Amino acid sequence: MDDVLGGLALLFVAAAATAAVLNRDPARQALVLSLLGLGLAVLFTVLQAPDVGLSQLAVGSAITPLMILLTVRKVRRIGRGRQAEDDGKGRSR
Amino acid sequence: MNWWLAGAALLILGGLGPCLWGAATGGTGRRMTAQNTATLLLCLVFLLLAQGYERPAYTDLALVVSVLGPAGTLVFVRLFETPSDTPAAARLLSPLVTAATVATVVPLCVATGPGRAMAKLIVIGVLLLAGGAVTSRAVRGG
Amino acid sequence: MSRRFRLCVLALGLLAFAALFTAACAELPPFGGDRHPYGDRAVHAALLRHTANTVSAVNFDQRALDTLGEESILFASVLGTVVLLRQTSDEHRTVPKPSPVPDRTRRYGLLALPVTLLIGLYVVAHGQLSPGGGFQGGVVVATAVHLLYIAVDYRALERVRPLGPYEIADAAGEAAYVLTGAGGLLAGAAYLANVLPYGTFNTLSSGGTVPLLNAAVGVEVAAAVVVLLARFLGQALEIEGDEDRGEGKG
Repeated sequence: MDDVLGGLALLFVAAAATAAVLNRDPARQALVLSLLGLGLAVLFTVLQAPDVGLSQLAVGSAITPLMILLTVRKVRRIGRGRQAEDDGKGRSR
Repeated sequence: MNWWLAGAALLILGGLGPCLWGAATGGTGRRMTAQNTATLLLCLVFLLLAQGYERPAYTDLALVVSVLGPAGTLVFVRLFETPSDTPAAARLLSPLVTAATVATVVPLCVATGPGRAMAKLIVIGVLLLAGGAVTSRAVRGG
Repeated sequence: MSRRFRLCVLALGLLAFAALFTAACAELPPFGGDRHPYGDRAVHAALLRHTANTVSAVNFDQRALDTLGEESILFASVLGTVVLLRQTSDEHRTVPKPSPVPDRTRRYGLLALPVTLLIGLYVVAHGQLSPGGGFQGGVVVATAVHLLYIAVDYRALERVRPLGPYEIADAAGEAAYVLTGAGGLLAGAAYLANVLPYGTFNTLSSGGTVPLLNAAVGVEVAAAVVVLLARFLGQALEIEGDEDRGEGKG
């Protein structure tokens, strides 16, 4: 019967990973990715590896989303800057 | 498989599963609400697993989630640029999660009996309720 | 190198990998069993050294050298990130605008910070007894510090985060691990050998060098994550290149 929990956790991880790939916006991907992390933590714990689950939780719940979202913000800022520059050149011509 | 593990399986199937659907589709507000609910339910899953496997040490995972889960949700609230468009049903979710927390922690306390383990359970419950109250308001933009 | 030749090299590598992988898989114990030849030996060795959490005994005692490698990987990658994300000569710093945070969130952040910090330290200190250890606890501690940015304000974070001490702590944690290992040599045993008294089973002071190494890793990881995130935050909020200063140029 313990296999039920393992099977459920595996299914959840597979579904979350697929959903993370199917979402194409990096910020939204970060959201799905955090759920994938939660699922992995459950899977590791169900497989009796709570140490690994705890590592996954520690890294995946706040630090990874923070790094991804900060990177997205920086990239978008560069994109906006270039856009504004191009617009400016267009006007002056 | 005992009742605690059955409860954990039920929470994964009926709680985390729909949350994944909510987080993978729809508007930003809906996604953040789903992510927030998932972290809060996850804490309960770990509590039930610890009791079900009779490994008190596993409650450490729940303890960590009870503080890092809300922190993770606040990261999204802080850095998402699009304005929140939380569905009206989200208002109903937080009392539901609160009820689930109480319904999980109280039987666990009864099963554990007085002592340090019970104090830890209560600390986790309080942290979870406080974190849930703050994050669910923050996600709704309040 | 022609495309054809490269494909041949790739195919050769893949075939060799497939052969070795299949051979290795054939020797694996069946999935999901509760007995494992390595597991039994690891548990036996852990109990001999009074370490209740076998995973910690493997990570910080039986295979402590592997953990030194992992710790060094984190150290080196943070160093690389610091170099990559530094402020270059064609970039300048701007003061980030304070963004409003609801009072409720701010109060929660300020209350949760010490609690999270305490939980992180608890996880580091109990690595030899229960799931957790230096890495997990260190990350929790670093997250606690960043609650100041997440729930309060970037400037509040900057006030408690003079980067210098954290960079020193990062290096000191790494050095402490290496030096604790050298202690084994001084005691006449092997490098990273567990030479301290093992203590009473299932107490905080049990496990010999395991709690010490856990603490070293905890300091290193917490400081490394703070330094790493400081670079990310700096790039995302403060540093602007000349090319992304659009309005000023047009």
